[in-house]
Amino acid sequence: MTARPERDTSDAELLRAVARGDEAALAALYDRYASILLGLVLRILHSRGEAEDVLQEVFLQVWRRAADFDEGRGRPFTWLVTLARSRAIDRLRALDSRGRAALASQREPTEEVSDASADAFRSEQGEIVRAALSQLSEEQRTTLLLAYHEGLTQTEIAERLKQPLGTVKTRTRAGLMKMRELLAGKFEGADALF
Amino acid sequence: MKGHDEYKEILSLAALDAADGAELRDLEAHLDSCAECRAELRELRGAGAALALAAPPVAPSPELRTRLLASLKSTPQESARRLSAEEGASRATRPPGRAPANVVSLEDARRDPRRAFVSRRAFNLTAVAASLLVVSLAVVSAVLWRRNAALNSAVASLSGALERARGELGQTRSELAVARREREILISPEMHTSQLAGTKMAESARARLVYDERTGEAMFTAAKLPPAPAGKAYQLWFIADGKPLPGSAFNTDAEGRAEMRDRIPPEGLRAQVFAVTLEPAGGLPAPSGEIYLKGAS
Repeated sequence: MTARPERDTSDAELLRAVARGDEAALAALYDRYASILLGLVLRILHSRGEAEDVLQEVFLQVWRRAADFDEGRGRPFTWLVTLARSRAIDRLRALDSRGRAALASQREPTEEVSDASADAFRSEQGEIVRAALSQLSEEQRTTLLLAYHEGLTQTEIAERLKQPLGTVKTRTRAGLMKMRELLAGKFEGADALF
Repeated sequence: MKGHDEYKEILSLAALDAADGAELRDLEAHLDSCAECRAELRELRGAGAALALAAPPVAPSPELRTRLLASLKSTPQESARRLSAEEGASRATRPPGRAPANVVSLEDARRDPRRAFVSRRAFNLTAVAASLLVVSLAVVSAVLWRRNAALNSAVASLSGALERARGELGQTRSELAVARREREILISPEMHTSQLAGTKMAESARARLVYDERTGEAMFTAAKLPPAPAGKAYQLWFIADGKPLPGSAFNTDAEGRAEMRDRIPPEGLRAQVFAVTLEPAGGLPAPSGEIYLKGAS
């Protein structure tokens, strides 16, 4: 294992190195994904302080449990994103409604990342995803983003949109299937999403 | 248990961690036995994770990176517990709370912080048992409620039918009693018949009084009487030794026919004359109006 992992080191290799106690590998993963994950967590929590707390917890969890990561079960990126969302949603739900209202009211404008080192590549991927999203129907897109970026459950989405639960389910499935189809083959090799 | 296809919609929701508890547990049970759905969930999770890239990236503060890397030294790593031999095997073989790190994401995604100290597996079993119980009770309640409602409406409808039957039975009984009395009059050895003829008031009117001389039970039939004016009725009289005893009042139908049962009082049985007069509706104790029918006994 190289002491300073390069960009072409796959996520999975980095995780294996982390599992062996390689702090530099964790730092490399952090540099790759911290901005993306913070953007996501901030979408859910709307508070910079809460979001950074969650981000730190996520990478500490990766550090502790990297050995348990099983590539056969999914891509590293998917795992990281899932961990981040889970923790953010847990944090959101642990806050009482007053705390949540306070968070919502102090919504901070999310600054686009300016640190260009590893992120030009990632924002290119972001473009691809945003382009795919724009090909979904408005309803499908809203449903997916409420679930993913706001951490709402199907029931909460149905209430928010004043739509029957069945409609929410159908839109979710249609939207996600379309995303899968549109993104298939877009991220190859080490960066494959699925 | 749901059909394979019904899990497809839940798969998409689960991939976004938006499925609700009961459906999620349903799905997890299904995933244990369905490789196709496991593979699809993995792919859909990937597609879902791509949505993370749609949020504008936000650079963390540099202090966060420093703080994180500094805390690694004091954070022990858990050793690998890759369950190679049990890979893909039943969850039941897995030690509680341990699983490949990226496997339990379905549960992690909706982990309730309050449950952190409860064994997840024990919780799951309890939760499954509890939800089965709740579902069973709900189903049983629904079934009982519907059955109760159905029975109530059946009882109501039967009560109505019973009331109607009772009414009909009462009517039939009284008709039968009338018929029996008529029959008794007709077959009585003491049966007597008198003919009544119309007076100048109704020259073509005719009537007949049939009665049992022993009991006084009587049947009276009339024809071709002019309909009684409003507020008036015909009344039958039994005239014994010049003294009229009141019988019942009656009305005719539109064609001037009348039919009624009466009981002749004991002293009336000695009557030599029967007559019908027009009286105020309901009749009087003594005649006051014109005689319309008259006949000798």
